[in-house]
Amino acid sequence: MNKIFTLAIIILLTGCSIGGEKKIKIFSIEKPREKLDYSMPTALQLEELKWIIITSENAQEVFAKLEEAGIDPVLFGITDKDYQVLARNFAQIRQKLQETNNLLKEYKKYYEPKDKE
Amino acid sequence: MFGQIKMVMTLVLIAGIAGAGMYVMKLRSDNAILKVNQQKLETAITEQNKVLEQQKQDFTAIMESNKKLNVLINTFKKDLQDLDKRFTKKNRDIGKLAISRTKAIERIVNKGGKNAARCIELASGAEHTEKELKATLKSEINPECPSLANPNFVHYE
Repeated sequence: MNKIFTLAIIILLTGCSIGGEKKIKIFSIEKPREKLDYSMPTALQLEELKWIIITSENAQEVFAKLEEAGIDPVLFGITDKDYQVLARNFAQIRQKLQETNNLLKEYKKYYEPKDKE
Repeated sequence: MFGQIKMVMTLVLIAGIAGAGMYVMKLRSDNAILKVNQQKLETAITEQNKVLEQQKQDFTAIMESNKKLNVLINTFKKDLQDLDKRFTKKNRDIGKLAISRTKAIERIVNKGGKNAARCIELASGAEHTEKELKATLKSEINPECPSLANPNFVHYE
């Protein structure tokens, strides 16, 4: 009788702790960041424009031709020096565009290589 | 007396055998732990080697990319110098030329404008045409940006 009583007391006191509490397992899984995967910007398609050279000698002729063609006889002019500046400015804009586009390509190649997809 | 000695000897013998048995068990357990450790170390070394290899590859890729961009920036400088040269070559004055040969200069300016516009299109990512890719002669290239428009053109005098 005493043995049964002792066993009952032990079970009562230890309760669910027999075998120990289950430990919570914390684990981490490395999940790669989602790819941004932007497509490359659409290439520009520029419209053609026509340059007209106007001098003191051909001015009359040029304006007459414009009127004949139904175009307002007005021209927005720049000097020969400013034309050179404009050409340089456009070259610089083009170079910056090319540089940025190249950087973008290099970044894509480095961070989003196609063979690892 | 003899019986007591015999009993003690038997106990010592049993204790010795038990001790030896436990020692062997401990050695086995140590051996198993060492094996696992060895495997873990080998895995770690393989992983480290992989990381090192990847770092090496990344470093090479970065160097290559930097080199490419430097070449590109040097090309830009040359293109700008070439553009300046075209305006000032042999004390050329484009203003005076435009007065004396108005029509011819107008044609040249329009052609140049068209070429420059094409350069901007290409710089923004437009595809090259077959003609642009095949151009190898000065008469075939886009003189505004040969390095960009005509990748197969090799500069010659």
